[in-house]
Amino acid sequence: MKIINIYHIFIFSCLLFISCDIEDGRDLNGPSTGSISSDLSRGELQDAVSGILADMRTRLGTQVDAQAVAGREYWRFQSSDPRWTADLLTGTLDNNTFYTTAPYAARYANVKNINLVLQGLENTTESFSNEEIAGIRGFVNTIKAHELLMVLNQQFLNGIRVDVADVDNLGSFLSYEDSLTAILDLLTNAADDLSNAGDEFAFGLPSGFNGIEGASGIVDEPENSIVSPADFLTFLNALAARVEVYRGNYASSLEFLEDSFMVLENGADLSTGAYFTFSLSGADIANPLFFAKNSTGANARIAHPTFITDAEDGDNRLSKVVFREAPNSSDVIVPNPLTQSNLTGGFDVFVYESNVAPVGIIRNEELILLYAEANHISNPLEAVRALNIIRDAAGLDPYLGGTSPTELVTEILKQRRYSLFAEGGHRWIDLRRFDRLNEIPIDRSGDDFFEQFPTPANENR
Amino acid sequence: MKKQTHFSKMKILLLLIFAPAFLLAQETITGKVVIEDTGEGAPFVNIVENGTDNGTASDIDGNFSITVSSLPARLRVFALGFSTKMVDVATAGDITIEIGESTEALEEVVVTGLATSVKRSNAANAVSSVSAEELAELTPPQTLDGALAGKFAGAQITRSSGAPGGGISVRLRGVTSVNGNSQPLYIVDGIYVNNNSISASGLNAVSGAAAGGNASNQDNPSNRIADINPDDIESVEILKGASAAAIYGARAAAGVIIITTKRGKAGKTKVSFSQDVGINRIINFRGQRQYNEDRVFDFFFSPNDDPILNERSRNAANLQVAAFVDARNSGRLVDYEKEIYGEDGLISNTSVNVSGGSENTQYYAAFSNNDEDGIVKNTGYNRKSVRFNLNHDFLNDKAKLSLSSNYIDSKADRGFFNNDNTGTTLGVALTSTLPWAQLQPNELGVYPDNPFAASNPLQTRDLITNREEVDRFIVGGTLDVSLYRNEKSDLKLILGGGVDYYNLVTTAIFPKLLQFQKISNGGLNGVVGIGRTENKDANYSAFLVHNYTTSNALNLRSQAGVTKLTFFRNTIGNVASDLIAFENNLDQGANINVSQFRQEQEDFGFFVQEELNYQDKIIATIGVRGDKSSNNGDANEFFYYPKASAAVNFHKFDFWKFDVLNQFKIRAAYGEAGNFAPNGALFTTYTNSLIDGIAGIVVPTVLGDPNIDPERQKEFEVGFDASLLDSRINFEFTYYNKTVDDLILQANIEPSSGFTTEFSNAGDLENRGVEAVLNATVFQNDNFDWNTGVIFFKNTSEVTRLEVDAFDLGAFGTGLGTYRIEEGKSVTQIVGNNADGDLVVLGDAEPDFQMTFTNNFRYKDFDLSFLWHWKQGGDNINLTNLLTDFGGTSPDFDDVTLDPAGVTPNGPFRVGAFRSGNATPFTEDASYLRLREVGLYYTLPSRFLDQIFRGNVSRFKIGFSGNNLINIFDYNSYDPEVSNFGSNGLSTGVEVTPFPSSKRYLFHVNIDF
Repeated sequence: MKIINIYHIFIFSCLLFISCDIEDGRDLNGPSTGSISSDLSRGELQDAVSGILADMRTRLGTQVDAQAVAGREYWRFQSSDPRWTADLLTGTLDNNTFYTTAPYAARYANVKNINLVLQGLENTTESFSNEEIAGIRGFVNTIKAHELLMVLNQQFLNGIRVDVADVDNLGSFLSYEDSLTAILDLLTNAADDLSNAGDEFAFGLPSGFNGIEGASGIVDEPENSIVSPADFLTFLNALAARVEVYRGNYASSLEFLEDSFMVLENGADLSTGAYFTFSLSGADIANPLFFAKNSTGANARIAHPTFITDAEDGDNRLSKVVFREAPNSSDVIVPNPLTQSNLTGGFDVFVYESNVAPVGIIRNEELILLYAEANHISNPLEAVRALNIIRDAAGLDPYLGGTSPTELVTEILKQRRYSLFAEGGHRWIDLRRFDRLNEIPIDRSGDDFFEQFPTPANENR
Repeated sequence: MKKQTHFSKMKILLLLIFAPAFLLAQETITGKVVIEDTGEGAPFVNIVENGTDNGTASDIDGNFSITVSSLPARLRVFALGFSTKMVDVATAGDITIEIGESTEALEEVVVTGLATSVKRSNAANAVSSVSAEELAELTPPQTLDGALAGKFAGAQITRSSGAPGGGISVRLRGVTSVNGNSQPLYIVDGIYVNNNSISASGLNAVSGAAAGGNASNQDNPSNRIADINPDDIESVEILKGASAAAIYGARAAAGVIIITTKRGKAGKTKVSFSQDVGINRIINFRGQRQYNEDRVFDFFFSPNDDPILNERSRNAANLQVAAFVDARNSGRLVDYEKEIYGEDGLISNTSVNVSGGSENTQYYAAFSNNDEDGIVKNTGYNRKSVRFNLNHDFLNDKAKLSLSSNYIDSKADRGFFNNDNTGTTLGVALTSTLPWAQLQPNELGVYPDNPFAASNPLQTRDLITNREEVDRFIVGGTLDVSLYRNEKSDLKLILGGGVDYYNLVTTAIFPKLLQFQKISNGGLNGVVGIGRTENKDANYSAFLVHNYTTSNALNLRSQAGVTKLTFFRNTIGNVASDLIAFENNLDQGANINVSQFRQEQEDFGFFVQEELNYQDKIIATIGVRGDKSSNNGDANEFFYYPKASAAVNFHKFDFWKFDVLNQFKIRAAYGEAGNFAPNGALFTTYTNSLIDGIAGIVVPTVLGDPNIDPERQKEFEVGFDASLLDSRINFEFTYYNKTVDDLILQANIEPSSGFTTEFSNAGDLENRGVEAVLNATVFQNDNFDWNTGVIFFKNTSEVTRLEVDAFDLGAFGTGLGTYRIEEGKSVTQIVGNNADGDLVVLGDAEPDFQMTFTNNFRYKDFDLSFLWHWKQGGDNINLTNLLTDFGGTSPDFDDVTLDPAGVTPNGPFRVGAFRSGNATPFTEDASYLRLREVGLYYTLPSRFLDQIFRGNVSRFKIGFSGNNLINIFDYNSYDPEVSNFGSNGLSTGVEVTPFPSSKRYLFHVNIDF
């Protein structure tokens, strides 16, 4: 009897024990993506927008380095990863390694950030005004266009996917031309939104955008130092001008430039524009394009020797590189060239002078050069005028060469090479646009140029 | 081995016989002890007056005589192999005491249920186990993991680093998970013991190892099972696959390692003291390249079409030649490999334990201090462990309480090793440091910058700190209550519980003085990282066990019970950089980065099992475990893990006439076990970002799956055990086939989706293998014994289903060789591009087979034992060579052995292969033959003991031993046993400038009082 009782009690308590519910586990370490896409609240908006702006910088270093090496702006030495001086100089590219996959994935990750916000905006129960909604949509779509353009710059004729909102049902690859068109469409629609976005965004922007504050010319009421949707539109137009120049739509490009933050005059501040900012605090990141002078082969950016030898006398843009020298064993300062993989260079790239120096997204100097390019066929003299603004700032005499399109292109490419050196991998894109990749200097036998990065293997094309 | 245990028990027995010589005789009981079933006299059985130390033993025929102080008296009758019996005697004179053979006492037992075990001869699984002697007494291992290597069939144990303080990967019967946990569950005295590897905060900020696209663990952390003191262990049992491990259900797919610690025995208090002293020394130097003027010049000169640059390069090269010649002529060429790895690390282990107790209460108390310096200055390991184990019987022996408690204070200085992307770890910096670099500090203690690397390795070694400190309590107990007992049946209640709690503090200090921390060199001006992990795992269980024996000796044992497990982890990492002055506090930095990781989990389970034993002839078991967990998509869904097994002891049947073959058992077992989705697999969680002081959220790279199921392993094993010539030769053979269904894969996804990988249940894999174990007493007489053992095992694996595309993981891409999960292929295949740029299989990490040979010789008072371990086949991806080729320092740089054309020296050949994307030269055969352990001991004979110590010492043993003293391999680096990515996952066997492993020489003194 007693035993049976014990059994009963035991079995009963076991059943009780088993049937008691346990709570579903949840992730204790961060918000789920569903929390944004299912219902975007005002509080989350700032986090999401700030995340988008922060994420624009992810793998920026890898992308700029890879393109700059492709265009022989500089060599990237890294003793622990010699693919920089192998694949990227021989042109035998791997479709499944970091220089192909990392920037690609980083840009699309940000596109995902943006798509989640757009989804959240549709599902929102927050009382956003129509102006606020237009502002949010216009803003994030502008960034989306920028991110897609970055991918397309590497992928070129491979084309890219533009519609990637549904993970299980990704849109097809568009051709290069169609991709550019789609990017411009995104910008055009975003421009519509921004012009209906009222005076103020529903979120704050980081200081990297301070340079375009007031660029719209519309006076704030009351005056403040906040970037308004209209100010941001000038940034959008700058990007659109870049896209149109890439497409060869010079007339349309000129219209966008007109409405951008471009200042086309001698002595204008060429650095005006929008920037990525960096810091060392918390989850922020340091400028990935900075290395100290005289860095060792562990990690170095060494200017391609032709950058120095091809420069015109007196070009002050040569200050973007620094002659490497160091004391020898008897404390005499001697040249300190760096050699890796049979490549020797005597100059460090020193465009960014600290690990928190900002990196331009797009700035006045590029806009002026886009302006020159947009005019070089239709209005060569206007092109020369723009080029001379750049030359003047560089401490050079006015341009005296011919004004045939070919001659002007040569000059434009040269000015772009020195003005935009080591900033975004422009040289390689520019040579490609004019079918001049064969001008790329070849340093070693077996080296070659290439015109695009492969589509990452995991895209399963 | 068992022999020895037997001897020591015999000693106690003899003590018991002679101790009461001077007792005052009052009442004398005489009689005979007979064996229950046969009626034969039972020799050498102890008869003790209960509650006193008055006792005797039966003679060879079972006769005895005992004098007690008064009557009635209660006699306690016990002997090895028999159940203890209490006999009440009211009158002096002749009595007959019947004792029954015990089913559990003499023979080694193996775990078959959560609350039960069976003797090994009845087990239906090939459960491997080793005893204390095999584990730690031959040569003391630094950590538990080192003690296991080579001793278990089916266990591939790889040390990931030579750094003191452990770090191993244990793979039981092949790979069991691709992206989930692949390390076994550790149970110590019933307590779930945590085996996390937690990287020190701040290391990655300096090394940037994870920045190159491989976010795995490359920080060389130790794993927490290293905290268990091997000296405290009585036995280790390994449940290698689901057929045995199903009892542990949802956590058991990677196998279970069950550790039992030492316990006190009733009788005289025994004090045991041991001291080891020894050294650690590197196993193998890679060596130095032989430089001459031409080689130096060639390395530095790169011809250029531009005459100015050409000249400049020539001048720079000539400067290096001059520096080299100068250093060579003045004898200042430095072998930096020896400089860094050439230290003799001192080892000192002290341990004291006291054990003893009365019939009702026994205790074991132990203290040990293990101190061990590494082969690199400022690396080392210290562990202080205190253990107290207590057994207490009460309620007239109806209840038995058994407690075990352990406090551990361990500290490991791990150095700075493995892969990096900043050229700063000791290993990577050495690859390009040439012997004419002058790196020694000047008289002011200022270290010059290394002109050939981003770090001066001497400075890094001397100034950095990378320390793990652990404070840990492991406490648990079981209460075993006999609720009811009669002749045919009994019922027991077994309650158990345990807690494993630890605090781990990691400290990484990179002072601003370091070459790579100087702002002028692009450094962060000093980095301090402090990580703090609080971990608390708790387990509770309650079981009922019912035994029922029918009249024809059919025994039925039923058990049922429930378990509850909770897991809690909280890791906070703080990294400060840009430090003020030379301060190391977190608040002394300009930039402070905080990270936190939390994990909580709760599991509920039940277990029921029925065991049937027909006269030890047929033994069958059937059971099921059900588990639910907060870590599943649906927390309240039960997952069921069934098991069934049968063993037939043919030699017990009447028809068995082969006397030579005194034991022959055929066994088969089937079981299922689970493996939880790894942390985060269920969720897609934003990570945080910061720009311009504004916090934000960004999508992670991994897409979670909220509906993910646990992985399910199904294992079937079959085998036989045979003993010949009165068990002088024992042979075990096992074949197993285990499949893992619903593999949780972190497979690649189109990166345009915004994610790089996604979790899903997307494949199955299969492991098949054989294990054979042979033990033999080759020779045995009074003066000389020779025991030998051979273990052979082999495993092959295959991915049998893959719903996602084949994907690479666990290394650095196809240009260097990588693992690749591909349907129809081995799980551990290594693929890469060949010279033609085609993706081909370059190797397989799975060994062709492994064998170990153990031999124990005893000649009079000398014991000699050794363990050889032969791993045949199994490949590594060795990238250390490539890095030294880039730095021009490979010892074989100028040899011509690799180029099929016989023209290009190895250095340029490997670099050339790398440049053309050819991974072939980097996959290397990692076979080895190694003398893992050897020990020679002398035990002072008792006649000397009495003379020297006047009877105060019961045993005095001295000896020498060593680990890894002989290593034979063709592998082109320090040691083929290596892992850049730590212990988990597939990617053991990737080498990037590791902490080289060491051999150990030890001297021992062991005194028992």
